[in-house]
Amino acid sequence: MDQETRRRLEEYRRNQAGPVENALLDDLLTGEVDRREFFRRATIFGLSTSAIAAALAALGDAPLAFAAPAAVRAGGRLRVAIIPPPAKSLDPHTYQDQGGLETGGIAGEFLTRATPSLTLLPELAVSWKPNADASVWTFKLRPNVKFQTGQTMTADDVVATYLRLLGADSAALSAFKGVLSASGVKKIDDLTVQFTLDTPTASFPYLTSSTTYQAIILPANYKNGTFEKTPQTTGAFKLVSYTPGVGAKYDRYTGWWGGSAPLDGVDVTYYTDDAAVTAALLGGQIDLIGQIQFATGRPLFGNSSVQIFAARGATHRQVPMRVDLHNQLHDYRVRQAIAMTLDRPAIVKTLFNGRADIGNDSPFAPVYPSTNKTVPQRKKDLRTAKQLMAAAGHRKGFAITLTTEQTGEIPQLAQIIQRSVKAININMKLNILTATAYFAGSQSGGPGGLGTTPWLNTPMNITDWGHRAVPNVLLNSALETGGVWNAAHYANKRYDSLVKAYEGAIALKDQLKYSKQIETILLHDTPVIFPYFYNYLAAGSTKVKGYKADALGQVYLSKTSLG
Amino acid sequence: MGRFLLKRLGLAAITLVLLSVIVFALAQLLPGDIGRNLDGPFASPAQVAATNHQLGVDKPIVVQYGKWIGRLARGDLGHSLEYQVPVSNLLGPSLGNSLKLAALAFLLVVPLSILGGVAAALRQGRITDRTITVGGLSLTAVPEFVTAIVLIVIFGIVFHLLPTTAQAPPGAGFFTQVKHLLLPSFALVAVLFGYIARIARAGVIEALDADYTRTAYLKGLDTRTVIRRHVLRNALLPTIAVVATQTGYLIGGLVVIEKLFNYPGIGQRIYIAAQNKDFTMLESGVLVIGIVYLIATLAADTLYSLLNPRIRYGAAE
Repeated sequence: MDQETRRRLEEYRRNQAGPVENALLDDLLTGEVDRREFFRRATIFGLSTSAIAAALAALGDAPLAFAAPAAVRAGGRLRVAIIPPPAKSLDPHTYQDQGGLETGGIAGEFLTRATPSLTLLPELAVSWKPNADASVWTFKLRPNVKFQTGQTMTADDVVATYLRLLGADSAALSAFKGVLSASGVKKIDDLTVQFTLDTPTASFPYLTSSTTYQAIILPANYKNGTFEKTPQTTGAFKLVSYTPGVGAKYDRYTGWWGGSAPLDGVDVTYYTDDAAVTAALLGGQIDLIGQIQFATGRPLFGNSSVQIFAARGATHRQVPMRVDLHNQLHDYRVRQAIAMTLDRPAIVKTLFNGRADIGNDSPFAPVYPSTNKTVPQRKKDLRTAKQLMAAAGHRKGFAITLTTEQTGEIPQLAQIIQRSVKAININMKLNILTATAYFAGSQSGGPGGLGTTPWLNTPMNITDWGHRAVPNVLLNSALETGGVWNAAHYANKRYDSLVKAYEGAIALKDQLKYSKQIETILLHDTPVIFPYFYNYLAAGSTKVKGYKADALGQVYLSKTSLG
Repeated sequence: MGRFLLKRLGLAAITLVLLSVIVFALAQLLPGDIGRNLDGPFASPAQVAATNHQLGVDKPIVVQYGKWIGRLARGDLGHSLEYQVPVSNLLGPSLGNSLKLAALAFLLVVPLSILGGVAAALRQGRITDRTITVGGLSLTAVPEFVTAIVLIVIFGIVFHLLPTTAQAPPGAGFFTQVKHLLLPSFALVAVLFGYIARIARAGVIEALDADYTRTAYLKGLDTRTVIRRHVLRNALLPTIAVVATQTGYLIGGLVVIEKLFNYPGIGQRIYIAAQNKDFTMLESGVLVIGIVYLIATLAADTLYSLLNPRIRYGAAE
């Protein structure tokens, strides 16, 4: 390391880095984290580029090379298909479906932006810093950012946005629950906002990123119901017209803080049918599809006029088995046996052509750095499965109904499970409902405490779950005692305390310690089967350049061009 | 004629009221509630209850229906519960789209079917007849989504001759819009041709066998004049009735075609409204289709009576 680099690093460590940053730098210098993981965590904790560069140089690494963007062709309007359409009005804090988040995300921006590799980039915030235990986060805002209304963005706008996100009608409440309350959001000065958390949370910056798709920054005087009527975000494109269920039109915003986007504009058409949108791309009527699936978009794969964009993520399906009913599933050995009948590599090949990670029956997706990969992967093992069934007194098997929704590849997964469990004499009946019926009914009260809705109360079911940048919400809501989406009605105090410890752990090695224990408990109890975590896929014509798929499905077009 | 029209209008009004009551009642049987649909599966019960209360769907059904009928009487179709915009803002363009597609489909299928039926009848028992009847029947038997997909693949994807989507870009001219509507129209022609051609054929065969046709020939008229002046007028009466009954299907029943060609017609609008329990949109949409259907059958009956003096004179007596 040269003298200047050493001086910069030491000055940073002495004057600017807090305990969290210094702990991370120590981890890098002692080899606890590798370069790649350091880079990822450094962006979460808001280390500046020069600090990251100096730290890496201390290792003898080559200086960070930020490649100059390749020359792009400016001009043209990109024709995008979004499937399905937004289900309701476009107020960002109420987004709860793919159509809404994609529509808003073309025009909207966040404090930070998550990349496909789960790093965080500055967007409307230029830097962020935790205190010693990550219970207080201070964000410095980008100066001279103009909303499309002409107003300049200040801390008042950010505070108002987050108060809206924490309001009673917000669809983001589940993400912030137990982490941030309204009283914790404070303006320090015109360009500084401070978040005082309810619980120390090392991963808090993800809640300010594009991963929390409701967190689009809007003016303080934003009125509900006006998003589609007046352009008022900060992004490279302004929404100039919107017809529910039909389409939307965006024009380039010339006052964008990031300069000038290559595209003149974006024309969105909403689709409700996979065959129709596939035909539209192959027929040349559209340039980009926001989301495709292998099961329903096979003609696109292997077609020379189509490019597939993929992002590894944590979108998955959960197969909960109620542990509290007086039936065969009450015994953990039966649940383990069912899980062992599945040939997961074959399932991933059949349903996703290999574009998915195999799950190990816990929310810890392989894409998460805090997933402890020393925990053995569950495999198909019919011999052990039969032994477990015999030990549980069910050698002759039994009958059970699997309830699920008609979404994506889920009906096919249900059929695969039905066929697989025949090997241990389980006669499984399938009850496949529309998504409306599957999620209908109440979610609280009643004998089980989770109301009457099928997805939280049937003995065994399959539910679709979206990507999260960290597994915290999945660990809490889906598996903690009394968790609001705990469809397996699982209750394990040791598990609960381990999850709390995991969420408070800042150092990666501590997270790995807790995740190993959590994964082991879940493998033993198997309240939920997590068969896979699949890649997020998009498709476009070969003319589309500079586009990257996002694990959540954000359609980010500020750097995209046509040719 | 005036009494006839008044009587038909009165019956139409009663039919529409009954239709609206039946649809409202049936919609209550659909699973789910609009609050849950809008707020998503992960919203709290309190949020969902608040949404339902804001939309007024937690009131008794009779009260909801009464409010809707009251607004309708003032010419107000109400607000879409799902999108929170006036229903007319969405239903109007959807109806317009469906009318355009129906008009083009009719323009293609009616002359084609009548020509086909007449040609088949005039060459009864021969190759032409067999080709038209068997071919038409086969096309009718094939589900429209199969025909549509074959057309999309061949004309849209392999040969890039026609667009695969029925919706033209905003601001597109007349001919561009027609170009976009050709593939779905062809799919509809395939569905309807066989049926209408067979009815036309049967009518022409019956008319050709009639005494008045033999008399016309014996008077020395040539075949073309006989067919134009005597045979068609009688043969097409049942065909008009059949064409009118297809109007309801063409305006509101094209959910599959609209989905496959991504065409924002009224069929799709109502289908999505039924799925999401958007009662206002559903009721208004069904009512609009009902009105269109009744107008079509009224027009068909009027045309029928104009073409058939026996009905006119029978009514007068």
